Amino acid sequence: MTDVLLPLAVVVPIVAATLPLALGLRYDRAGWPVAAVGTTAVAGIAAAIAAETVINGPFSHALGGFLPPIGIELVADRLSVAVLLLVAAVSVATLAFARVAGPRGNPFYSAYLLLVGGLVGMVLTGDLFNLFVFLEITGLTTYALIAADRSGASAYASLKYLVVGTVGASLYLLGVGYVFLATGTLNMLDVQAQIVAQAGYGDPLVRASYAFIVTGLALKIALFPVHSWQPDAYQRAPDSVTTIVAALVSTASAYALIRVTYTVFTVDFLAANEGIATALLVVSTVSIVAGSALAAMQSNLKRMFAYSSVAQFGMIGAAVALANETALLGGIVHLIGHGIMKFGLFLGIGLLALGYGSRRIEDLASVARAAPYTSGALAALGLALVGIPPSIGFLGKWYIGVGAVDAGLAGGGPIGIAVAAAIFVSTLFTLSYVARLVERFYFAGAGLPGDHGDAAAGGGDGAADAAATDGGDSAATDDREPSPAKTADGLPAPVEGAPRSSLVPDRVPTAPLLALGLAALATVALGFGGFALAEWFDPFLTEVFA
Amino acid sequence: MTVPTDLLTSIPPYVLIAFAALAVLALPRRSGHAVAALATAFTFAQAVLLGDGGTGAHLATQFLGFDVVFFNVDQFSLLMGVVVGFLATAAVLYAYGSEAPTWVTAFALIYVASTVATIYAGDWLTLIFFWELMAVTSTLLVWQHGGAAVRAGYRYALFHGTGGTILLAAVVVHGVSMLGSVPAGEIFLFSSTTGIHASATVLAAIGIGINCGFIFLHSWLPDTYPRPHVAASVFLSVFTTKTAAYVMYRAFPEGGMWLAYLGGFMAVYGAFFALLQYDPRRLLSYHIQAQVGYMLAGFGLATYVGEFAVTGGFAHLFNNVLYKSLLFMAVGVVVYRTGVEDIRDMGGLWKVMPVTFLVYLVGAASITAVPGFNGFISKGMVIDSAHELHNFELLLGEGLLWWLLILGGVGTFMSFIKLGYYVFFHGSATLSPDDATPFQTGGMLLAAGACVFFGTPLTYGFLVDLMPFTAEVAPELHPYSTSHLTESAALLVAGFVGFFALKRPLGWLAHRMPDVDAVLFPSAFYLGRGSVWGVTELWAAVDRATIALAGAAMRTASDPREALARAGFDVEIRAGIGRSVLFLTLTAGVALFAFLLV
Repeated sequence: MTDVLLPLAVVVPIVAATLPLALGLRYDRAGWPVAAVGTTAVAGIAAAIAAETVINGPFSHALGGFLPPIGIELVADRLSVAVLLLVAAVSVATLAFARVAGPRGNPFYSAYLLLVGGLVGMVLTGDLFNLFVFLEITGLTTYALIAADRSGASAYASLKYLVVGTVGASLYLLGVGYVFLATGTLNMLDVQAQIVAQAGYGDPLVRASYAFIVTGLALKIALFPVHSWQPDAYQRAPDSVTTIVAALVSTASAYALIRVTYTVFTVDFLAANEGIATALLVVSTVSIVAGSALAAMQSNLKRMFAYSSVAQFGMIGAAVALANETALLGGIVHLIGHGIMKFGLFLGIGLLALGYGSRRIEDLASVARAAPYTSGALAALGLALVGIPPSIGFLGKWYIGVGAVDAGLAGGGPIGIAVAAAIFVSTLFTLSYVARLVERFYFAGAGLPGDHGDAAAGGGDGAADAAATDGGDSAATDDREPSPAKTADGLPAPVEGAPRSSLVPDRVPTAPLLALGLAALATVALGFGGFALAEWFDPFLTEVFA
Repeated sequence: MTVPTDLLTSIPPYVLIAFAALAVLALPRRSGHAVAALATAFTFAQAVLLGDGGTGAHLATQFLGFDVVFFNVDQFSLLMGVVVGFLATAAVLYAYGSEAPTWVTAFALIYVASTVATIYAGDWLTLIFFWELMAVTSTLLVWQHGGAAVRAGYRYALFHGTGGTILLAAVVVHGVSMLGSVPAGEIFLFSSTTGIHASATVLAAIGIGINCGFIFLHSWLPDTYPRPHVAASVFLSVFTTKTAAYVMYRAFPEGGMWLAYLGGFMAVYGAFFALLQYDPRRLLSYHIQAQVGYMLAGFGLATYVGEFAVTGGFAHLFNNVLYKSLLFMAVGVVVYRTGVEDIRDMGGLWKVMPVTFLVYLVGAASITAVPGFNGFISKGMVIDSAHELHNFELLLGEGLLWWLLILGGVGTFMSFIKLGYYVFFHGSATLSPDDATPFQTGGMLLAAGACVFFGTPLTYGFLVDLMPFTAEVAPELHPYSTSHLTESAALLVAGFVGFFALKRPLGWLAHRMPDVDAVLFPSAFYLGRGSVWGVTELWAAVDRATIALAGAAMRTASDPREALARAGFDVEIRAGIGRSVLFLTLTAGVALFAFLLV
């Protein structure tokens, strides 16, 4: 029975993806229930896989009975299960938000389910080419979802992602082709063995293949300087799409990077090619600093946290390239933690936009007094992102930082220290933009005597913003949303007809708020589990560093 | 009698006094003062009982890795303990008799406690700590009185804060200089023969000199001491300056000509300005400077003349504590009873205040060195020491220092004749106050008795016994020799003649002669105001620059393209589709290049 779980996890969402379209012929509102059932089923299967992995250790399934290395294999181990659980949880939770925030319509839910299927496939596959297929499924559905609200800006963002994303995926495919030429196989474990047997780590084909694969994945992960699709995509996509894309898509690609680097090419490859590790480290370090600095410059909340992701994935990239156990553990913990935090942050921003009509930090002055629970969760998640303990954000950064220092001391030279320094600088930048958010939310003093809340949000600011829009791209000229209404005492006014909860004063729907609260709780709770997380990933780490 | 030395040396007396200060606040006035008197009397008795048998560094421990000694007993600290404890007891009685508020007595006791702690400190760290504490507690004692004492208290605090800081710097320099020559933990320890390191000489001299009342650094003395409660003045007059003289010896046990001559000039300067005063306590304050001058002259000759000069200085210090406080008490009684603080408005009081008058006579006779009183012994010793110095010879084959000290002695005579004349004689009595209260009398009699006891031909030997270097000094000491008596008579005659001859010119001069504070206070005020303005404006400039920088950073960050356009590069900086693909291709190319060729 257990070996069916793996194909089921992939097949269920993909098959379910056809249902909303099919049923949509007859029922207008079939999409959400189908998606809910589909993702819940995936979550159940994921839980079963996790239980199986914990009890009996890693297991695999050969699709269609064709045995590897010829056939395609699905594999579950501690690492893939952790990411699988994240995918399942986020895809269920985001649905609660998509139900109220849209986009509506059956095609959206079909694409949504297909995205989930693609992500699950990326996580579980044990085959390099199959990984490309799921990468493309994920990519294509993401392009579609970003444009799902049919605005010009989102269409442009989607097109941009489509073009560069396709090129990126093609680079990955090119890399896979090279390694196939060198080894004659595509199964990950077999490639690992065949590189040593047939080519060796110094083989130009193998090196070139790693270069192409890393570049392709770096684009999907959105590392600086090939991140340029990502802020547009996150900002312009509908809020619910941003929530799932930010939490999972780059995460799955980063998972793929870890998987390809450590399971396929192995740590010995990195050790044998110091230049490659160093180049990846340099790119990651630049990504950390540049992403944080760009994030600190933004006033649109979604764009701000989009750039923040560039920095956080820079840290994960650095953890991969540092190639020591502590750093890699930190990278994996940060991968999971970042997924949870970004899910919560974009969900919270989306909820505020839904209830109060703005995503700009200035317009949300003193929103904590109108929406205490949403603001509180956002503040907690933001502080976790900064890395304030106890939080999983702290754990991840801490392990990466310690690993970097270790590497620096163990002969890695100045680059390890530079990574640690970059993480520190990034933390300061993160603190600066999160503190700005907390200050606006809690201390702006809108509506109080001596109010300094929105004095600056007048004409001057708007004029400057108009000049800042994307010149030449007519599709992307609505950078500035109209300033939303205020209540009599100067607080952000709820949007007319926005859903409300009967439990809290926040003008937000109950179920997504609950998901937001859970995300914040999980972020803090996992912060206490540093030892448990290390235990959890220990088998994987032991295996790859054997 | 067997003295349980171990027990005695385990009790730091200043802790008891500090508790007594709390008791004064907590208990009723009478029993509180009784506890206070007992605590100070214990300090006295402990020092007497310990004697030479108790010497050593007691209560030694470590602080921040440095050896510190909280109860350093040697012959110098013991004699200070004897006189401070004795006088503090008399002063507590006096305070009780003067209706001093309990807060005054409490602050005074804390002040006494820090004084005693400074005296018994065996290392520079402990010493500087209690030195600063003395400054703080004495300032509180001044401030407690309110009114005009508050502003004077500020000036006092500024002086002593500055002095304390300079001494602290001296201690730091000392510590740094000692590193290497002794184990690091012991760099701050001192003994009776090792002073402060030579590299800290100037800092230590100025830091301690402010408390000693060096010329030009003295203006806090006559400024502060006339202001507070009369009982507070008694405490103040005794401890700060005398402890400073004592610490000066600790820092410079080998003396130096600079110190001796400075002392000589202080004697003349202080006596001269005292002559010009009409506020009795202000007059006495200038005499503090003059008398400290004698002590420093003695200490300064430590190397040139030897132990005799040092003993003279300490004997004068010892006696000065007794008679100076006695004078402050006597004058305090007059002020307390009449409420008048100008001697020209007093007069003829000897009939109505016979006790006070008598006590004043004892004090005045002591400070002016009339035979039979303690000042005669010690001032004679210092002048004898100066007698041996001949590097700037003036008239009669005597050196400059000797003449300075003699001139100071004449000035002292003149000013105490003046003070006594104006207060107790000088026309008919316009005021008819009561005499001293019983407890005031008690306090004064204690001090007066000591003044006489240590001065008579029969009993002055006890003074020498208390002093360091008794064995060396006693055979050489002949205070009642003909030459000393002649010298004293000459001073007395010169004083009387001088005062009555110069009374009118001095009166004229008193209104026209400014002391350094005429320049010092305004310049300090404008310097302070200027520096406040300067700091404020500098800060404002830094603030403006920071805000401008932050603003520029904010504008650039929130609108980088606009900022670029202003700098002359009007280009699109966001990566569109084409540029994104270009970046991707370049990255792939660079990665290939790097991975294949590096």
